[in-house]
Amino acid sequence: MAEFEDNRPLKVEVKGLTKRFGDLLVLDDLNFNIRKGEFVCVVGPTGCGKTTFLNCLTRIHMPSEGDLYIDGVPADPRKHNISFVFQEPSSLPWMTVEDNIAYGLKIKKLPQAEIDRRVNRILDLMGLQEVRKVYPGELSVSAEQRVIIGRSFAMEPDLLLMDEPYGQMDVKVRFYLEDEVIRLWRELGSTVVFITHNIEEAVYVAERVIILSNKPAHIKEELKIDLPHPRNIADPKFIEYRNYITDKIKWW
Amino acid sequence: MEQQQMTKKMEVKGISKTFYNKNSYFTAIENVSFDVKDGEFLVILGPGRCGKTVLLNIIAGLEEKTEGAVIYNGKEISGVNPEVGMVFQKLALMPFKTVLQNVELGMKFRGVPKAERHEVARRYIDLVGLKGFENSYPTQLSGGMKQRVGIARAYANDPKVLIMDEPFGQLDAQTRYSMQNEILRIWEQEKRTVVFVTNNIEEACYLGDRIILLSDCPAKVKEIYNIEIPRPRNMVSKEFMDLRAKISDNTDLAI
Amino acid sequence: MGSKQKERVHAILYWGLPVLAVILIVVAWVLFSAQHPELMPDPVSVWKRLIKTFVKPIGNTNLFGHAWASLSRVLLALLIAWAFGIFFGILIGWNRTARAIFGSIFEVIRPIPPIAWIPIMIMWFGIGELPKILLVFIGTFVPLVINTSAGISMVDKINISVGKVFGGSNMQILKDIVIPTALPSIFAGIRTSVSSGWTTVLAAEMLAAQRGLGSLVTKGWQGSDMALVLVAVITIAIIGSLLSFLLNKLEKVVCPWNSNK
Repeated sequence: MAEFEDNRPLKVEVKGLTKRFGDLLVLDDLNFNIRKGEFVCVVGPTGCGKTTFLNCLTRIHMPSEGDLYIDGVPADPRKHNISFVFQEPSSLPWMTVEDNIAYGLKIKKLPQAEIDRRVNRILDLMGLQEVRKVYPGELSVSAEQRVIIGRSFAMEPDLLLMDEPYGQMDVKVRFYLEDEVIRLWRELGSTVVFITHNIEEAVYVAERVIILSNKPAHIKEELKIDLPHPRNIADPKFIEYRNYITDKIKWW
Repeated sequence: MEQQQMTKKMEVKGISKTFYNKNSYFTAIENVSFDVKDGEFLVILGPGRCGKTVLLNIIAGLEEKTEGAVIYNGKEISGVNPEVGMVFQKLALMPFKTVLQNVELGMKFRGVPKAERHEVARRYIDLVGLKGFENSYPTQLSGGMKQRVGIARAYANDPKVLIMDEPFGQLDAQTRYSMQNEILRIWEQEKRTVVFVTNNIEEACYLGDRIILLSDCPAKVKEIYNIEIPRPRNMVSKEFMDLRAKISDNTDLAI
Repeated sequence: MGSKQKERVHAILYWGLPVLAVILIVVAWVLFSAQHPELMPDPVSVWKRLIKTFVKPIGNTNLFGHAWASLSRVLLALLIAWAFGIFFGILIGWNRTARAIFGSIFEVIRPIPPIAWIPIMIMWFGIGELPKILLVFIGTFVPLVINTSAGISMVDKINISVGKVFGGSNMQILKDIVIPTALPSIFAGIRTSVSSGWTTVLAAEMLAAQRGLGSLVTKGWQGSDMALVLVAVITIAIIGSLLSFLLNKLEKVVCPWNSNK
């Protein structure tokens, strides 16, 4: 498919990202760019090395070759701010919802006024004001995951990585939360990489979809999803995108 | 349709379940009634976390009910029903047993001789596509393969009714599609009555002869759908998407 | 960018560091003993002392005899403790009535350190073999019961449901599902019991014994024979690590499904 005009500045560049474990090649020379404020989905077949890909971006593993650049310089946890949302909610159980959201901001030693402003904005945007004094253990799993997502957006990160955050939730809740994440992303202008196995979800949220191949993973294709939000999953154009991507990775 | 001729295998009549605490109580299920027809693929679709597993445990006789009755082949059942098999979301495979030993477990409990046990177990291991993994331990298998073991284990005990409690809930979306096709293939090859619980509307529409839609807490029957779309169903066809939308609009949002 | 090289450097580093640590300790020992020979004999004199235990036996037996004396006490006590402790742990983990009867007694006895029993044992049974074996039994029985019963009562309810759906009897469920599930935890108890048994026997021997590594420590200490103390201590350490090595091997055989994790 043709490249579309996009004149937002480059935010993240992944250049020649390769990962080997011994002789086993898992990631094979991945190259792609993400523009500032872009919402990108990464999809691939089951077992394509998705976790390794993520671990290389988050620096849990060091890449064997190549690297991740943010604003033109190699990503550095001390200088750049990369936030993650994992599949399982990972809130701190001894802190209330508002303290959880404020936690990362306190570590960064932001002024208290700024912390309060950001926390309130997130609570407003997500409709979480009533539960701000509640502990995560008293919430449902989906509500807890929303707190984590709020916490990540509050950091105003250079890059926000989400690893299938809605994988275990029922479909109706998922669409609700996907709408919410789109709303947060638009309001706050964050740069988001959203990893999922669910093609319908990818087409529903992404501006652009990066399709990975089987292991060793390389980039099969990058695809712009040229549909306005909110999207309709029964729209023929939507189904066309969905079928197209499914054909690219279908193994089942 | 064939369904009209199907006889009632099981009747779930006015089941309620309330949990009592020291000074509070919580109703998980309220007056749930439906029939299970012989040989059908019945899906129970419920949002959120409320009541589904408890309902299944009551049907299987693993849990006490507060009110109501479970009628099986015309007789009221109390305690564990030996003709019911179960597949669990959390797998509950024994990590210390090989695939073969896991599949044999029910037959071992019933005192089936070893040679016969092996033969039956192997047949079902083949059926679910795990030939060659008989001597592997569960930790050596992928998520989809583990769930295949769970299915083979339930079948090997020769149940008349198979209850499946969100069996694909922990699998990724693609493995889930592949297992949905697998379970239909197995069901068509070895016809049993299946009661399949899920919170996934797409999965419910793809698999079920009928769907019983439950409400969020407390779980009540909201609506029962007969699905007339012939198999294999196309998940992006218009009639499928319409059905999905119709059920989705009628489903509670359980945030 | 040279990641292969980096991996190799790491491999050498992680192999070399433990060796380096041991060498450092030996060097420190040599240096310290050269400056303070009255506090610490050097490695060579310890080696000579070791040879001497074979030439001039203490208490009518050589070093092997003493090691065997300690080891046989521990092994005998352990065998009894394993049999009773695991049985008892299963009983109070599985059976509510048994837990109600024995649970509270056990909670009271549990925090008493085995060494605290030494005077009682000596007063009741004198200084023969029986009190020592009883002491080791007490010290090892406790961790076994705790770990076994915890392992049994922590078995996931859903696994028991599987057994019930299959129509298993209580005994079948216990034997085929519950005990194997608890086995890693039972094994943790066995491991703790071996190390605490080894500690307890030495403490008992230090107080009153003709034979055993503990009695060597006491003899060396009372005769200001530091080299003999060191010979005994090093032997204790070697046997202790051999035991835990054997146990790890044994666990791989008994719980093969655990080895992948």
